[in-house]
Amino acid sequence: MAEKQVNSQLEQFSYDDGIVRKFFFATVLWGAVAFLVGVIIALQMANWKFNFGLQWITFGRLRPLHTNAAIFAFAGNAVFAGIYYSSQRLLKARMFSDLLSCIHFWGWQLIIVSAALTLPFGITVGKEYAELEWPIDIGITVIWVVFAVNFFGTIFRRRERHIYVAIWFYIATIVTVAILHIVNSINLPVSIWKSYPIYAGVQDALVQWWYGHNAVAFFLTTPFLGLMYYFMPKAAGKPVYSYRLSIVHFWALVFLYIWAGPHHLLYTSLPDWAQTLGSVFSVVLIAPSWGGMINGLLTLRGAWHRVREEPVLKFFVAGVTFYGMSTFEGPMMSIKSVNLLAHYTDWIIAHVHGGALGWNGFMTFGMLYWLVPKLWKTKLYSTALANAHFWLGLFGIVLYMLSMWAAGITQGLMLRGLDPTGHLLYPDFVETVTKIAPLFWIRLIGGLMFFTGFLLMIYNLIKSISGAEAAEAVVHSEPRLSPAPAIGVKPGESPHRIIEGLPAIFTVLTVVAVLVASAMSLLPALLSEDLVEANPAFKPYSALELQGRDLYVREGCYLCHSQMIRPTHAETLRYGPASLSQESMYDHPFQWGSKRTGPDLARVGGKYPDLWHFRHMMDPREVVANSIMPTYPWLYSQKTDFGVLQKKLSVMKSIGVPYTAEEIEKAEPNAREQAKRIAEGLSASGVNVDIADKEIVALISYLQKLGRDYRNMTAAPGGAK
Amino acid sequence: MSDDKEKLLDHLYDGIQELDNRLPAWWVGLFYLTIAWAVGYFYYYNIGSGPTLGQELREEQNQWALIQAKNPTAAGGGADEEAVLAAVIKDESRIKHGKEMFATKCLACHGPLGGGGIGPNLTDNFWIHGSKPTQIANIIRTGVNDKGMPPWGPLLKPEEVHSLVAFVKSLKGTNPPGAKAPQGNEEK
Ligand code: HEC
Ligand code: HEC
Repeated sequence: MAEKQVNSQLEQFSYDDGIVRKFFFATVLWGAVAFLVGVIIALQMANWKFNFGLQWITFGRLRPLHTNAAIFAFAGNAVFAGIYYSSQRLLKARMFSDLLSCIHFWGWQLIIVSAALTLPFGITVGKEYAELEWPIDIGITVIWVVFAVNFFGTIFRRRERHIYVAIWFYIATIVTVAILHIVNSINLPVSIWKSYPIYAGVQDALVQWWYGHNAVAFFLTTPFLGLMYYFMPKAAGKPVYSYRLSIVHFWALVFLYIWAGPHHLLYTSLPDWAQTLGSVFSVVLIAPSWGGMINGLLTLRGAWHRVREEPVLKFFVAGVTFYGMSTFEGPMMSIKSVNLLAHYTDWIIAHVHGGALGWNGFMTFGMLYWLVPKLWKTKLYSTALANAHFWLGLFGIVLYMLSMWAAGITQGLMLRGLDPTGHLLYPDFVETVTKIAPLFWIRLIGGLMFFTGFLLMIYNLIKSISGAEAAEAVVHSEPRLSPAPAIGVKPGESPHRIIEGLPAIFTVLTVVAVLVASAMSLLPALLSEDLVEANPAFKPYSALELQGRDLYVREGCYLCHSQMIRPTHAETLRYGPASLSQESMYDHPFQWGSKRTGPDLARVGGKYPDLWHFRHMMDPREVVANSIMPTYPWLYSQKTDFGVLQKKLSVMKSIGVPYTAEEIEKAEPNAREQAKRIAEGLSASGVNVDIADKEIVALISYLQKLGRDYRNMTAAPGGAK
Repeated sequence: MSDDKEKLLDHLYDGIQELDNRLPAWWVGLFYLTIAWAVGYFYYYNIGSGPTLGQELREEQNQWALIQAKNPTAAGGGADEEAVLAAVIKDESRIKHGKEMFATKCLACHGPLGGGGIGPNLTDNFWIHGSKPTQIANIIRTGVNDKGMPPWGPLLKPEEVHSLVAFVKSLKGTNPPGAKAPQGNEEK
């Protein structure tokens, strides 16, 4: 061919491993933070006293810090380290721009630091894994675009005609995370650190769990599969088991994953058919997920003896096995009868940690151990220590999962237990909590073991690296690719080979798959008429109640309390009739919750007098012996921000909450008036401090509003349907 | 599968090679099976005759209603409740049972000795909703919306409610220290 001669001159280049070393260190550093905070909140669950009555470290504020640190800081930096290392080699090209690499690195660390500096102050949107406020969201978008330009630029400059399966997974990751993040984070600002999502209630729930589920898919699954496809065959020195399987399971995953989001919303007021869709797509995902596991494990055929000696391979094998377990457990939990038991309980926590500690954690550790001698002129300091890390980590995870499975199933069964006459066996919610409290201690031990193993790794890495020089950049020479795309395949080759040679087309196809699946799974439900039937009985929050609601979000109450009564007999006995979609139609964001460490609060309004809440929030054990809920003393001294209310109401109005001009105008005086009434009622029942302007009053007004409209509707003549 | 039968592709990426093994038959089977199951499951619940979540709930509630109809005391408040209660309030063991429950469920609002707090004093002669045992049983079961007395009917068994009535009735005239001022109407 003529082109060959034209391009036969060799180009010289070297890989940028400095950036990989940076991400390497960041992974280790943020891993330590994420695990440490995890251990702290595990301790707080085991004993409420470890909340110390301090607002910055109370459970509801630390839990988002833990999840964000684990996902975006630890796993995120690990993914970047792996992608920067492997992509350059797989594409035979240095990263497109060292400057962009540098901006990507420091920008991402800045985002993490700003998350760590805002979440403990209660600055949060109140949607799980999308807590960060709008200025940080914009930062994430910018940095992600920088990353994308850098990555696709490298593909553009590649010297390898075809892109390898790891690169496919990276492409899917980069484009999908961008779509998910942007669509789910459309929030309207009230101020620099406060905004409201434009979606409300059911719609917000649907978008949020489309995001939440696919963040797991495209931030914690596809990039790690990409890493697996690079690092496992490298470490084992064996060819990948099946190229065809790679093709089939890649496209199946990319297209099918998107649909499964509503499995987080089973038995809610989302329309039935949307729920069923979430269930069935989850089950269909088993085989595509296992495709990855098979391809990983079977790549090791003939190398199993090395797994015994080589900690890197041990971590990979266990990691991939955890992946297989989680991707089987998840679909099972999406079947509604299983979900009814598992949802809202610690079973979900067990599931998540199988994936996070087992799959993401172990794959990362294997990768870090493997990278050390490649990035530095050194050997791993101690294989024995790495093996100890492996076993400590493994038993830690097992202990964690067994204890949380036991806790989840026990509490799930107790909460639904009925005696032969149809009465609840355990009417006091707190009974079910005291029962599982010992298991929280066992979970803590499991977490500590995992953390100890991680500290051993840090020691091992420091010992390996200290004094060692960075590996020298090797200069490679390779011919430049001809600019003309090579269309066509050799005889007997899969037609898929064509698009492997055309990354732009490949990327477009991936985007189309993701967008089509997203549109088909979101739009019919979002546009459906029966999603939320307007009903005048359900009224927006008063200004004071809205302020109270923002406090509820700020304190992370939704991390222990749900606001969604599921349509089952046991639940209607315990909490009242099943929740309607109208009840949350003005909720920006929705607060249905995903975990019931405490009881559902959808109808708590009117259940107790104001004085009860007043005493309960100060110290829950004053009114409920054995409660494990934290104390909230700062709500009794901090003043309610009345000044911001007019702005808040007008922002709410612009996203569809029907406040009248007068309500907005008078937001502040109305709120003060309502607060005064509540405070007077409290002082009539013996509270002799002036509290009308304190936050606790706003919070109480919100708690009393929950379920009030529903009750009024059913109490009104002819109101009940 | 033995290695020599496997086809090694001429792909080479940074030293990584790829085999072209066929998709494992069981894997393909599993994939098809789940797809078939998904179609059937969706059809049954959303197009075919499967129950909706609302129907499932009604069905479950009807079943319990039937059980309770067969066994009138299961729901509480049967026609003979007056007679039953008359016996229960004299039964020391039931009073003790009621006292134990009171300590975990009612103490927060009615005080450890029933002298009142968030809720009214239960030891005096004044009653908002009446002092007859059946009236007390009813108020415990239904609660008072918006006044802050929770409904215990869905949570407690009829015998448990009765024991609580027995305990409440036993409080009369105990006049504990710090008792709340009277509320409601005087009854002898
Ligand atoms: C660590 C988990 C946790 C957090 C965080 C938490 N709670 Fe609770 N909550 C519980 C538990 C457990 C109970 C049950 C025992 C009790 O009533 O204290 C409970 C009970 C309640 C109840 C009584 C519900 C009923 O029907 O009896 C209310 C109201 C409540 N919590 C409000 C809040 C608010 C408001 C916040 C945030 C400021 C919050 N909780 C944060 C765990 C938590
Ligand atoms: C959350 C606080 C609270 C709890 C818990 C509570 N009560 Fe009450 N109770 C009240 C209030 C408030 C009233 C007054 C209702 C009214 O004003 O109509 C009341 C009223 C009553 C009355 C009627 C008194 C009268 O004067 O007519 C009885 C009897 C009673 N409660 C029994 C109980 C029993 C038994 C329990 C435990 C199973 C219990 N309460 C638990 C708050 C509570």
